[in-house]
Amino acid sequence: MLKLLIIEDDVAAAASLKHGLEESGYAVELAHDGESGLQQARDGDHDLWVIDVMLPKRDGLALLKMLRDEGRRAPALILSALGKVDDRVNGLRAGGDDYVVKPYAFVELLARIEALLRRARSLSSPETVLQLADLKMDLLGRAVTRAGQEIDLQPREFDLLEYLMRHAGQVVTRTMLLENVWEYFFDPQTNVVDVHISRLRQKIDKSFSPPLLHTVRGTGYILRMEP
Amino acid sequence: MSGIWLAVSLLVLAGAAYWLARRRQQNLALLRNRLVAVTQSVRQTGDNIAHDLRTPLTRLRADVEAALRQEDGKVHRAALERVLDEIQGMQNIINALLALGQAEAGGMRVKKKTVDLTGLLMEMIELYAPSAEERQLTLKGRIDPNLTIEADRQLLARILSNLLDNELKYVPAGGLIMLSAAARGDKLEILVEDNGPGIPEDMRDKIFERFARLDPSRTVSSGAGLGLSLVRAFARVLQGDARVIESSLGGAAFIVTLSTSAADVSRPAP
Repeated sequence: MLKLLIIEDDVAAAASLKHGLEESGYAVELAHDGESGLQQARDGDHDLWVIDVMLPKRDGLALLKMLRDEGRRAPALILSALGKVDDRVNGLRAGGDDYVVKPYAFVELLARIEALLRRARSLSSPETVLQLADLKMDLLGRAVTRAGQEIDLQPREFDLLEYLMRHAGQVVTRTMLLENVWEYFFDPQTNVVDVHISRLRQKIDKSFSPPLLHTVRGTGYILRMEP
Repeated sequence: MSGIWLAVSLLVLAGAAYWLARRRQQNLALLRNRLVAVTQSVRQTGDNIAHDLRTPLTRLRADVEAALRQEDGKVHRAALERVLDEIQGMQNIINALLALGQAEAGGMRVKKKTVDLTGLLMEMIELYAPSAEERQLTLKGRIDPNLTIEADRQLLARILSNLLDNELKYVPAGGLIMLSAAARGDKLEILVEDNGPGIPEDMRDKIFERFARLDPSRTVSSGAGLGLSLVRAFARVLQGDARVIESSLGGAAFIVTLSTSAADVSRPAP
């Protein structure tokens, strides 16, 4: 079981986060201030840290920087209530791997945790071919086939599919797609991502079976075999 | 002789003191007027926020109360899903207000970098074209090649995205939206225009104010009434400005003017 450490001083928020993550199959440890958080992160063998920025005794970014300086490499997800434009940059500069602004949706947080854990596992083997069922992506030749048939994708559709393939079996949110495929760190008010997804779906799913690209209501999308 | 000099010096000193005092007074008066204006705008904004948050709150309350009167799990679930949507809407309003406050108070740090503006505009068209098409709108670009600007890419993209969100919301089906950009001396002009109903002349400055809407009866939707204030505030952070005129296409033409070397320090809006 993967082990997560949550350093968050809001006891109620931390408890509900712990509950949700345990339901999703993770072992969760809690710390409620910067000092004990630092100690627990040093002592424990966690697969990922979730760190709130504003913490009593030692702030989250200083704490993370300290852990990084000591050579500890667990992926870190930063939680912030500030949400200013440069917060994200400061968080990443301190050694964070991703960043979520409060109040966040639990599914958003969960999706990002899963993406970070997956990234940590797959860093060692850079792939050049991605495959799910009969859908194949050749990243070097930038070619896509399904059931042996070539599929013509626009460059952005290719990037979109690559991101979904790299996170196959895992929910990705619209915000994650905007950040990773388009590199926009804000959410447009128009359903721009949904329309791009439905175009991609036309190309990879419409004349084939089973459908691979599914909508997860209220959350985002998932690429997988079973519906 | 020295008596006269002394008198003259005293007079000069007194004059200078008087002049300084007056200038201080004038400055104080100016400052006071600005404070009054800011206070008024804060009060106005506060009223609007209260109003705009009360509508979704009323819906939330009615929804939750109705659901609580029933035992059906499905009804509860449906109510909770609507509650979540309303929360998202309110969150959008609050986030937009925070961004506005930060931009207008000069607290927004801008990362100055050379941005390929032509590329960014093409990207925006690529991002929005399918959504436009879905609404039976045509989104076209007429962009000079090789336009670059010293600015913050995310902020520029947010300006464009807010303008395009606005277009997609208000231009009726069958309409045309044209995105163009060109250099004018040491300035860059980005135009987002359409052949929609346009903005009446007396509303052209008002629509950049917080919570301004052409049709006051419109109910609040996600962040409604804040998009254009964000456009102007962000443009000013980049030391430019935003305005609207009548488009040669027949509808509205939103114009964002930016200096080609937008500075790296933000300034409070005038």
